This record gives sequence, C-alpha cells and structure tokens, in this order.
Amino acid sequence: MPIADHKKCTGCRICEIICSIQHHKEMNPKLAMVRINSNWPWEDKVTICRQCKKPKCVEACEYDAIERVNGYLRIDEDKCTACLECVKACPFDGVVVSEITQKPILCDTCKGEYLCVKWCPAKVFSKT
Amino acid sequence: MSNNKYFGYAGKILTVDLSSSDYVVEDTPFDLIVNFMGGKGFGAKILYDELKPGCEPLSEDNIMVVATGPLTGTLMPASGHVTLSTKSPLTGIWLDSHCAGFLGPELKMAGYDAIIIKGKAKKPTVLVIKDDGVSFEDGRDLWGKFTFESQELLRKKYGENCQFMCIGPAGERKARFANIVSGGRGFGRGGSGAVMGSKNLKAVVVKGTRGIGIYDLDGFMRMCTEAYNELTVSPDTGGGRPKYGTNSIYSFMIEAGAHPVKNFQTGVFEAVKECNEDVLDKKYYKRHIACFSCPINCSKASRVDDGKYKGKFTEGPEYENMWSLGAQCGNSNIGSIIYGEHLCDEYGLDAISTGNVIGFTMECFEKGILSEKQIGFPVKFGNDEAIIKFIEMMAKGEGVGELMSQGVRQMSKELGKGTEKFAMHVKGMEIPAYDPRGAFGMGLAYATSDRGACHLRAWTLGAEILDVRNRIDPFATEFKAELVKSQQDFYAVIQSAVVCLFLNFGLTQRQITRCLQSLTGIKEWKTTEDILKIGERIYNLTRLFSMREGISAKDDTLPQRLLREPTKEGPTKGVVVDLDTMLKEYYLIRHWDREGRPTKEKLTELGLDKYK
Repeated sequence: MPIADHKKCTGCRICEIICSIQHHKEMNPKLAMVRINSNWPWEDKVTICRQCKKPKCVEACEYDAIERVNGYLRIDEDKCTACLECVKACPFDGVVVSEITQKPILCDTCKGEYLCVKWCPAKVFSKT
Repeated sequence: MSNNKYFGYAGKILTVDLSSSDYVVEDTPFDLIVNFMGGKGFGAKILYDELKPGCEPLSEDNIMVVATGPLTGTLMPASGHVTLSTKSPLTGIWLDSHCAGFLGPELKMAGYDAIIIKGKAKKPTVLVIKDDGVSFEDGRDLWGKFTFESQELLRKKYGENCQFMCIGPAGERKARFANIVSGGRGFGRGGSGAVMGSKNLKAVVVKGTRGIGIYDLDGFMRMCTEAYNELTVSPDTGGGRPKYGTNSIYSFMIEAGAHPVKNFQTGVFEAVKECNEDVLDKKYYKRHIACFSCPINCSKASRVDDGKYKGKFTEGPEYENMWSLGAQCGNSNIGSIIYGEHLCDEYGLDAISTGNVIGFTMECFEKGILSEKQIGFPVKFGNDEAIIKFIEMMAKGEGVGELMSQGVRQMSKELGKGTEKFAMHVKGMEIPAYDPRGAFGMGLAYATSDRGACHLRAWTLGAEILDVRNRIDPFATEFKAELVKSQQDFYAVIQSAVVCLFLNFGLTQRQITRCLQSLTGIKEWKTTEDILKIGERIYNLTRLFSMREGISAKDDTLPQRLLREPTKEGPTKGVVVDLDTMLKEYYLIRHWDREGRPTKEKLTELGLDKYK
C-alpha cells in the first residue's frame, strides 16, 4: 500500500494526470483518485487511500457505501450521500473528495499496478 | 467530460468586455487552430486582426489574449505554460509573455483555449471564470494589496485549487514593466501588468473540471513515456537543472564572460566565490517545486536563515534574477536577491527590467549624472540596501522611482548626457542576463527578437557555450543567422503548443511533431516542416504587427556599449559584437528586405497574403 512522503513531493501532479488517463481515457486531474494540495511555497500534501486492512472509513459509513471488491475498497456512488464521515474518520487523511461530484474517491490501485507510483518523478511513494 | 470536436483543445474561446461586463463564448475556429496552433499564434492572429493600429497600450482599446495550446495541461512534460499577448506599454510593440505553473491547464479545464479581454472596467474588478460561467465581481477591497495576499484572499473566497492572474500595486499604478503574478510564477516581461491595471482588472480567477481528449491514446502515451525518459537521462534536464534550477548555467556563463556585470561594464564578477549555484543549493534552497506535469522541477523554494534578510523567502531565485538583482548591480548578497525577488513578485514588477534599471541608475550615480540629492541616498554598485529601496520606490512611484519605472529607454531619454550609450535595452525592453560580447548569437537574438531584448525567442548559448562537443565559436558571425532564425521559428511553435521551452532541451523537433500528431490527429500537421512553417508564419506576423506600430530595420540594433565599447578584462577582453554581418545574413535567410520587411513572396508562401 502506498505511503506518501510529502517532503519529496514537487507538486507536479503527474500522478493526477496519469490516474485520469488510466481510468477515464482523458487528461483531467479533477477526476483523479489521488490529490495534491498545494501549500505554496512549502510542502505539498498528497492524499491517497492506503487500502487499510481494518478501514476506519468503512466503520464510519452509515450507508454501507464502502465495500471490498476483489480485495480492494471501493465506494458505491449510488449509496454514498456525500456526508463525508469517511473523510473525517480516516486517520491518514487519505480520502480524496471529488470537486465534480463532491463525493469521496478511494484509490483503486490500478489492480495493484499503481501507475501514479510508477510515474512519480520525485519518488514520493513507498509501499508497505 | 471532454465535450468538443477537437482532440487536445478545449474547443471554446471566451471574449470578455470589461466596459459592458459582457461576455461571449464561441467555438475555436478550425482554421485558426490549423494555421496558428494556439498560444502565441492565436495572440498574433487575433491582435493583428482586431487591434487598432497605433492604439495607446494603456487605453481601453488595448486587448489582452490569454491563450493555451494543444499540449497545455496534458501528460506531456512541462505543459503548465500559458501565453499572454498584447501591445506592450514598455516597448509600444508586440508583446507575448509566458507564465509557468498551473494557470494554463486550469484555463483549459474551465473549457477555454483562450480568453480575450477587452475594454476597461469602471471600478476595480475581479473576473471569475468557472466551468459554468463568467462573472464580474467587485475588486475594490483587493486594490492596493500585494499579490500574495490578494491570491490568498481569493483562494479563501473561491476555494482551493483555483488558479489566478493577479497584479500588485505596481500594475495598479501602471508601472511600464509591471508583471502579472500567478501563484509563485508570473507573466514577467513587457508590462502586461500595467495593461491589466489600465483595465481596472485586479485579478482573474480560473477554476474548471473539464478534461482533454486524446486522438491516439497509445501513440500519445508512447510519446510521453519517451519524453520523460529523454528528459530524465539528459545531463541538463535530468541533472543540473533539477538540482540547481535555472542557475545550473550560472558558473558556465561567468566563466565564459557572458554574465554581464555592473550594467555590462565588464564580464568579470569577482564575488562569484560567495555567490553561485552551489552556495544557493547548500544554503538557501529548501525544496524543489515543479510546474504542472513537469519532472524537471527547476523551481526552488528558498529561504534566508541568517543575516539581515533572515526569514525572507521566494520561489526562486531564477538565474535571470540572480543576475539582475545580483551581478548587474554589483551585488553578491544572496539574501538581498531573495528578498528583492520576493518584493518584485509582491509589488508585481518584472525583476529582469527592475534590476537592469537599477544597474543603469547606479552607473548614472557613479558617473555623476544623477546626484545623491536627486536620488536621496548614495547608490554605488554593490549597495544591496539601495536595491531593496529602489524596488519599493519604483513600485510606488516615489521620487526617482517614478522615472525608473518607465524603463531604461525613457529614463535615458530624460537624463540625456550620453546615457543612451549604456541604456541597455533593445526596442525599449531591458536586456536580460547574457552579454552578447561573450556569445555573438545572443546579440542577433536580442536585435531581432519580436518583443525587444529577450532571451526566449532564440537562446544560442547552448550551441555557443554549453555544448562541449559541438560548440560553435561564440565570437564568430558564421552560422549565427541560421541558428537564430531556426530557433525563433521553433520556439514560436513551442510557445504556441503551449509548453515550456525546456522541453526543447530533451526532445527533438521530430518528436514534438509526433506528440502533436498523436494528441490532436490534425491531418495538416504531417511533417516537422509543416510544424515549423506555423512557427515561421507566427514570427513573420508578429514582425508585421510591430512594423505597423512603427519599427523598422533601424530598430534591429543593440546599445552602443555592445557595439563599440570593448570590455577591458576577462574572457571577452577587447570584444565588440559584429551585428551588421549577422543581421544582413539574417534578413537574407528570412527573406526580409533591407527595411526588415517580409517580402511579398515570403508572405505568400506563409499564407499571409492578406497582410501584404
């Protein structure tokens, strides 16, 4: 599971771009499952789901909208009401909130391939 | 989410009239795309067609075209750029200015290839551009505020992940080389901030959620992968530049005598031991910063940890400003350079012109042309506190700062007494950080650059100084005309594509052509020649624009100091630039006549018939 070292991040957002291409076949960082938040000029903040084994987000969700599919956590958009309790519950600040739907997004790991990790030029991520 | 007919483009152009608080959204015309690509090309075509010849740059008649290109906001490395074209209040001729960072991609995400800003608002205004519309909001509470505070307040109001164009107090009072700031970057040169100020436009806020479509996904991904690999293994973009930023060339330029010192009086900088890229890296750089989609991360966050500038910080300092606020003023106090650059950003001043003018003022003081009484304090070369004071005086228009903020050309005109010989500008734009006496190609580049003295229309230093294996003689005139002409055309493509020029250090013209093909699928762009033709078309059109505003061959020149006054020491000892030889050859290659006007045949060949 990817752990981000915020100090290394240069804020280039290549992770966001490659994520949107992989999942939506277009370049749109706003659709990405990973998010870079700028704190210019100092350290950026990387938000990405760690796919916890005992996820607090699942516990916090009153609507059973977060489920495990093929071993990976996933949000059922139909059940999700955008209450964002999962965002508050995550101890790692790992839940991205979509600017488009206002709903939470969890990284689907690209079937374990993690394209964002592969493309990151600053090698921000390490896996556990 | 991408919902338009062209791949690689947002598909719409937004025209805003500040006078009537109206706007129109139109489809981006296909012939504009095919013939002018984007960015600078869009600006050239739109301004040539729509701007009234001879219009006063700071009147409501002037137009600003902010444009992206097909590669902007894509996975292609270094695609965070955006272009602004207008008529410059500093030079009175063509101006295109480029801003790195994140604004360009955001503008495309908001759905626009370009915004055209016309008219003048009745009161200070903030233009808000979002996915779902455009609004004109009251900007009176921001008027007078610094750029970083203004952006912070705007971010609080309009949400995270907005991008901005914002002017500071210098732009508001229309200082002739005021810039526009976006995040920690900016549209630096030529006074676009004064144009924005003259329109009562304090800031533009951009936020969007739309994506960019790709014509040939596999092909484009292959090209991007290739680009990343090439940039990463190149000793420049994969070595020096990520580590030292744009200062990676600092010592090389000093060694070659191409780093002008004390207003171009010499090429020898004695203080280089305490002021160089290694000191910056070890003592001041705190972290690397990248623009959108860029693995080079040439930008740095710097902070001063001790001394009288303790606690001051900047995004930078860039090579250009290490020169302008450093060697140009005989100053080696890096803390003051960092603080000076920060102040230029806060007030919204172009730091290159700022430092150039300060160096000129210091020389005037040392020569007795300006007295201590006129200035208010002694300003010998190397006086770092005077530099900081001057920046504030220029931004606020206080004392001699008012005259200084009109640029070095105007300043020398008013001072007289032979100062024009060492007023270091071309066509009114202050010369940046390379001395043509150490690299003749830069002399021709400055003399023929379409916006006045500029190092980003042709940058011959790679070939003349840095390239160890294939170096061409920097003091010869041979091949310089071809080099400058071909770079100008190709850079015009890069600035219309719109990506950062640094992509050019990693990718060949052929590779960039293939990137454009796989992204857009435009059939008219088959070969590298097709692409370069677009660049040549744009460069000729900006030339026609400036000729319409009154320039001719006599303006394609350099200050007397570079042509007649050899330096007395160092690697360039005894050298002056032989511009005439290069210029004659340049006109010949460009098919421009003796007046410097493109010939009818050339214009026909470029499809610019109607501009004869």
